[in-house]
Amino acid sequence: MNPQANLIFITSLLLGTTITISSNHWVTAWAGLEINTLAILPLISKHHHPRAIEAATKYFLTQATASALILFSSTINAWATGQWDITQMSHPTACLILTTAIAMKLGLAPFHFWFPEVMQGSPLITGLLLSTIMKLPPIALLFMTSPSLDPTPLTTMAILSVALGGWMGLNQTQTRKILAFSSISHLGWMTIILVHNPNLTLLNFYLYSIMTTALFLTLNTTKALNLSTLMTTWAKSPALNAALLLTLLSLAGLPPLTGFLPKWLIIQELTKQDMAPAAIAISLSSLLGLFFYLRLAYCATITLPPHTTNHTKQWRINKPVSPLIAILTTMSVLLLPITPMILAAL
Amino acid sequence: MDLPLILTTTILLTLATLSTPLILPLLSDNLKNTPATITSAVKTSFLISLIPMTIYIHSATESLVLLHEWKFIMGFKIPISLKMDFYSLTFFPIALFVSWSILQFASWYMASDPYITKFFTYLLLFLIAMLTLIIANNLFVLFIGWEGVGIMSFLLISWWHGRAEANTAALQAVLYNRIGDIGLILCMAWLACTMNTWELQQLTSPNPIPTPPLLGLVLAAAGKSAQFGLHPWLPAAMEGPTPVSALLHSSTMVVAGIFLLIRTQPLFSNNQTVLTLCLCLGAISTLFAATCALTQNDIKKIIAFSTSSQLGLMMVTIGLNLPHLAFLHISTHAFFKAMLFLCSGSIIHNLNGEQDIRKMGGLQKMLPTTTACFTIGNFALMGTPFLAGFYSKDQIIENLNTSSLNTWALVLTLLATTFTAVYTTRMIVYVQTGHTRIRPLTPMNENNPAITSPLTRLALGSITAGFLITSFIPPMETPPTTMPTSIKLTALIITLSGIILALEIAKASQIPILPKQNSFRNFSIFSGHYNPLVHRLSTTALLSGSQNIASHLTDHSWYKTLGPEGLANLQQMAAKTATTFHSGSIKAYLGSFALSTLIIILSLH
Repeated sequence: MNPQANLIFITSLLLGTTITISSNHWVTAWAGLEINTLAILPLISKHHHPRAIEAATKYFLTQATASALILFSSTINAWATGQWDITQMSHPTACLILTTAIAMKLGLAPFHFWFPEVMQGSPLITGLLLSTIMKLPPIALLFMTSPSLDPTPLTTMAILSVALGGWMGLNQTQTRKILAFSSISHLGWMTIILVHNPNLTLLNFYLYSIMTTALFLTLNTTKALNLSTLMTTWAKSPALNAALLLTLLSLAGLPPLTGFLPKWLIIQELTKQDMAPAAIAISLSSLLGLFFYLRLAYCATITLPPHTTNHTKQWRINKPVSPLIAILTTMSVLLLPITPMILAAL
Repeated sequence: MDLPLILTTTILLTLATLSTPLILPLLSDNLKNTPATITSAVKTSFLISLIPMTIYIHSATESLVLLHEWKFIMGFKIPISLKMDFYSLTFFPIALFVSWSILQFASWYMASDPYITKFFTYLLLFLIAMLTLIIANNLFVLFIGWEGVGIMSFLLISWWHGRAEANTAALQAVLYNRIGDIGLILCMAWLACTMNTWELQQLTSPNPIPTPPLLGLVLAAAGKSAQFGLHPWLPAAMEGPTPVSALLHSSTMVVAGIFLLIRTQPLFSNNQTVLTLCLCLGAISTLFAATCALTQNDIKKIIAFSTSSQLGLMMVTIGLNLPHLAFLHISTHAFFKAMLFLCSGSIIHNLNGEQDIRKMGGLQKMLPTTTACFTIGNFALMGTPFLAGFYSKDQIIENLNTSSLNTWALVLTLLATTFTAVYTTRMIVYVQTGHTRIRPLTPMNENNPAITSPLTRLALGSITAGFLITSFIPPMETPPTTMPTSIKLTALIITLSGIILALEIAKASQIPILPKQNSFRNFSIFSGHYNPLVHRLSTTALLSGSQNIASHLTDHSWYKTLGPEGLANLQQMAAKTATTFHSGSIKAYLGSFALSTLIIILSLH
């Protein structure tokens, strides 16, 4: 894409995110969200093929609806309480509408239908941006309004997200859709602990961003867009594929990898809050996700009986790989031992 | 003279003489066996065994010898001990006499067989196992003999193993015997646990003995002696050569079950359940076998069913608590039944393999010795006064009539006696009288002494055995002393009526028209429909039940469906259903968003 246009879009993206995170007034928050929406639309439809255009359209429609609902909820609250402060949302209906709006923005079930199609229509790096940066403003808003939110719809949507993300992910062969559903599952984990300990929501989001960035960048080096392509990547980047196995297992939440940390702390907090059935439900539902992560890992590090290979590792690679992958993979695998330091920093 | 010592020595000498043809060939290559050597070994054993019998008759000396003690568990003795009492001392000469005659006959019957020496060796092994069973003092040695006769029966029935029916019959025999063995092992286990012994002398107890071990004994006898329920193997065992049928399945092996009950009689003489069970089981067996024999056309099958019927009669005697009388019937029955089989063997070989009585007739003129002995044997079987069978059979029926036990068992037994007379007369009429129906060119020759001397010897035994045994050995149980004349003549009257009935029917059916089918006739012809029903139903039920429980229930249901596979199917179903909701149409999505928002707000407001 035209470098100047790219510069404007990326800058707008960062600007919108920063505005929303640092706002105290609802209208500025809404403005930041709108800037984000508009900025990412050309990034989604970068390649101009029909699927990308359709993805951009779907994205715009749902995000516009969600932003309108946020404005609506803040207006109701202003009408009832006379102030526009984000942290002072006291009207119950406003809180409910805000919950649904942010769920729509994030992609929590049952408001998630747009997310896989948008991810499938956009290139891998845009998908990465959709999963990480575009989630940050809504989660920041949730974090700021967490004391006044009703836990019931949040918990229901969370467990539903994890389950639905698991079931839908089982039936996919396209890696971008699989990553979309994995994102939906992780959002469920983030949402369930919001009212009890919002810091854990943020921690989960940060760790999830690290892991999913590592994953997206790894897939981007070999442009593995479906499982069949993934099975041929061992010849192009064998070491990276081995690291991909660990990253996927970390996303699944397997100890002793990093991904276990947020799950462990969330389950602990839920149990302390006397919500053991919810903890059981969400843990069992995330087992479904484990299956498709393992399937991805199996396809990448394809374990076959010893046999003669029909080709060796390619000695010509197309572009140098950035060192960011190494840093992020290491972080997504090895952060569990420094849990106390992380907890102290929360 | 130290009579017990002579007694013991001569019995052991008998057994040693019998084992000579087995041991000597191992010592030197020149000492090979031939049928003649084996026959003479058995003859010598018979002559030696007359000595201990005479000693017993003279002075009622009994003896018990302990050969060796097998110490393999502390506290439980398993001695290898032999008991020489009335039963073993009387049965030894009888069994050896009958075996000698059969072996002599077999040297003619199996003359064309290339492995005749192996045949004789098998018969000898069987005989040794049988005598071990008879002379055993404890159930361990008895069990060794029991299993030995079972194995030899299997090997001998399937002698012509190229024939599929022979193999099937041998397997059937082994399976039915095995079912009986379960009962015997159950009883032995109970005895070992409760009384800490298997010795026959110690088989008494002041406490009442529980019924299950005794039922095990009855099961063992039913399996070995072909009582109703475990009977199909005996007619099927006629696939073996005629000497095998004569030795095993008439005189010796099939009486092993009854002999077991005779030996262990002190255990259940007070147990009314077991006695009634024996009585009724024996009555059913005798009537059933007699009914099946009425319409058989194979001469060996008729004699096999008559053996089965007489075994039922022996079981009835056990049920009347009269073991000595049962033993008397065993002894007399051995003579005439073996002779009947040998006569049938002579007839079959002379007719060049013909076993169907509808294709015989008028043999009285052509095979005079054989048919004369055949007639004597049949009359002895029917219980004709003062032949061998009379002394035991008539006494049994007298005791049955004068006892205060089960009337129904009495009726069945009397009916079976009538049927015995009927089928025996039918057999005589068809085989010996009337116009001959054999093939035109049948050269017959019975002038071989190998045929005639066994037959005449056994005929002599059939006539005199009953008289001799009852004269020399006093009855151990009190015979009934007084009874009305009609009761006394019951056996005679019903036998005579059976003979007359059979003669009338035989006269009426000289015209060879196929009779109309009716259910009674079919019941008799198909031997009670027992084989197809039980063989198929029980095995199918067992196998399908086990498949359902082990495979379907345990493996598939509990381990798979209620576990991993069921769970996986549920998830698959959920995934498929969820995928159909993700249609891709934004209208549907936005509509669902609106609906969900509405629901959330309305329900939680």
